Amino acid sequence: MGSMLAAILSDKPFSASRNFFISALFWLLIGTTVGLIASLQFTAPDALSGVAQLSFGRIRPVHINTILVGWLSMGYVSCYFYLLPVLTKRNGLWSEWLGNLTCAAWNVTLLLGVLAIANGNTEGREYAELALTLNVFGYELQLADWLVLVALLLLAFNCFMTVATGQEKKWYVSLWYMMGSLFWFPFVWIIGNRAFVQLDGLNDAIAGWFYGHNILGMWFTTGGVGIMYYLVPRFSGNPLYSHTLSMIGFWTIAMFYAPTGTHHILQSPVPEWLKAVAVIASVFLLVPVLTVLVNFFMTMKGKWGTVSDHIALRFAVAGGFGYLFTCMQGPFQATRFINWYLHFSQWVVGHAHMALLATFSFFVFACSYYMIPRILKRKMFSRELAIWHFWLSLLGWIIMMITLTIAGLVQAAGWHFAVPFDQWVIELVPYWLLRSFSGVLIVGGQILYAYNMYKTIFNGDECEPLPESKTGALYV
Amino acid sequence: MRINYFVAGGFVVLIFFVIIFVTAILPATTFKPKPSAAAIVYTEQELRGRNIYRREGCFYCHSMFTRYQDREYGEMVTAGDYVNETPHILGTARTGPDLSNIGNNRYATDWHRAHHSYPRKVKPGSIMPNYSFLSKQDMDDLVAFLQTLGRQRNQPEWVTAPQELRDEFDAVKSHVDVNSSAAANAGRGIYMQNCAGCHGVTGRGNGPVSITMIKKPANFTRPFYKNYGDAMWYYRVKEGVAGTRMPRWGQTLGKEQMLYLVAFLKTLPKDSQAAGEEITSFQQLDDPVALSKNYNLIKQLGEQSPYGTGRPE
Repeated sequence: MGSMLAAILSDKPFSASRNFFISALFWLLIGTTVGLIASLQFTAPDALSGVAQLSFGRIRPVHINTILVGWLSMGYVSCYFYLLPVLTKRNGLWSEWLGNLTCAAWNVTLLLGVLAIANGNTEGREYAELALTLNVFGYELQLADWLVLVALLLLAFNCFMTVATGQEKKWYVSLWYMMGSLFWFPFVWIIGNRAFVQLDGLNDAIAGWFYGHNILGMWFTTGGVGIMYYLVPRFSGNPLYSHTLSMIGFWTIAMFYAPTGTHHILQSPVPEWLKAVAVIASVFLLVPVLTVLVNFFMTMKGKWGTVSDHIALRFAVAGGFGYLFTCMQGPFQATRFINWYLHFSQWVVGHAHMALLATFSFFVFACSYYMIPRILKRKMFSRELAIWHFWLSLLGWIIMMITLTIAGLVQAAGWHFAVPFDQWVIELVPYWLLRSFSGVLIVGGQILYAYNMYKTIFNGDECEPLPESKTGALYV
Repeated sequence: MRINYFVAGGFVVLIFFVIIFVTAILPATTFKPKPSAAAIVYTEQELRGRNIYRREGCFYCHSMFTRYQDREYGEMVTAGDYVNETPHILGTARTGPDLSNIGNNRYATDWHRAHHSYPRKVKPGSIMPNYSFLSKQDMDDLVAFLQTLGRQRNQPEWVTAPQELRDEFDAVKSHVDVNSSAAANAGRGIYMQNCAGCHGVTGRGNGPVSITMIKKPANFTRPFYKNYGDAMWYYRVKEGVAGTRMPRWGQTLGKEQMLYLVAFLKTLPKDSQAAGEEITSFQQLDDPVALSKNYNLIKQLGEQSPYGTGRPE
């Protein structure tokens, strides 16, 4: 017990990164499994009937919160805690102890919050369900909102201090992205959880979708792109193609991502000028996306062949293409005429999975295969398992994407031609079955990933001196 | 060198706060719609029901606003309808139907209760989760909330044809009196030649060809189709139904022939009229378990649904 506490609140360099990564793995397994259970309810709605905690309306927010706040956010923080010291030439964070404390607090908050959601204690706002609502002297206190805020502030403070006390005075573009994300996400979180004010009706929806889109745009996108700006030049061995382009990408993403939230409620009676702002900003998102991708892909020039034996690079490139597809689709479906047809349908669910699974999760996979061997000075336990992980995840999201897209088009036709809904539901059953099958592939891939990482972290042999490879290909 | 970072960092902060101001604070201060006539003022029980609606995550699959292009969900909503809706339950997906106008006793309170306890018995083909785990109090509150939806709106037509088809129908309707029995008789022959193969001789959707179809042909005797206006019938016949085997008869039939067909379709009987009247006895069956065993009642309830069973009978 004492040694476990020492491990949880350790002061060793990079121990916070390691602990955040282990927690993220745990939430990844929970989150994907819960998602699979939720997907089964589309085709077998009576299989789990009568269990309140497993009914779709409760298990869906559990899936979303474990994946967003658990797996992806903690995975990102783990990457930050490795990359920030490396980029500022420090041995470890400003305070590893504080980082480890943040990790423990984060896990406890999320565990309680998710259990509360499953038992019906929820804020009831999409993407902001974590609540832990307590009744304190007649005032409804949403404890989880505040706890997460404190965790975010501790995290940001630790990271800023790391950069401020680092040896490197020239900021690489990754730092810009990470520091930016850490700066603005606490604000987005506060607005999204409406911690200070109760807004009326549609204003509540506007604030809700400001947050709902910016948890993706100002946290997962900017953070993930920052990680990739480090990984792509490192893996390919080429210098970054253009620093000017990377800066243009950063400034435009800060400008165009934040106002897009209202495109989620484009056809509801919210003010027209706000819809116009959202649609225009959504289309202009092509600018940062394309500058980032041009930069990545031009940096890869001449090194595309190395994806055959560099597993981490393979994840990074697949994630880059996922980013391309997601961000081509996003502006497309945010325009009014397309939204008019596709909104409300399963197409959008496919889009969300492409962003969070095919893009941002793949970025974290890529970074973890690079980072974990370096933190622990060990080779990965198994190269074969990593390859299986890659193909199962990739096939899983491709099948999910195709089936949900087709299902969305069928469904949209159903709504538009006023076909009674129990009629088009019959048509969607095969697609939903295939989607559950893709879920099985994805969960299987993540189990192999977790096993591989578990073996590496807890049972691997220290490998001193580490066979030196600049690009990291040999570690996996 | 270091000062440049502070200038640039300050610029990021400035941009970010300007954007927060424009997209989050400006709407909250300038967008104050006046309460409309359709804005719902909730009683205590209805408010409890609304919280159960949020707690059970109903809004993940049911939207709460109608759009211009929706043809099934009644009157359009306006901004003023939402002044009492905090937190919002607009929803962003429609895996189930829109609920803006589902209340107002469009379905009996007992129907709602049975539907939540046994969704697939009441509405075959539905994928709604089974809410039999709700306590009686919770179920009553939830249904009380559902009955408020659309309470204050006028709902002349539940299902409407698109505007261009309504215009076309207005232009041609003087050619044939669709309410005359002469026109209906003329339509009967056209129906028997072109439609009866799938929809059946009596219009119950059980024609010989229907056995080969995954999506069964419409059963015109269901109450849902009694909501159809003349223009909606004309639209369905002319344009067919996308995503089903229903053809676009406008390509083979003339306008007068389609109008004769409309006249005939309007004369088909409404099957569950009698069943609907018997439903009141269901009040005594408060226990959903007893209800599930009473197959005939469930069947009658199912036929009250606008969507019906979708199966040949």
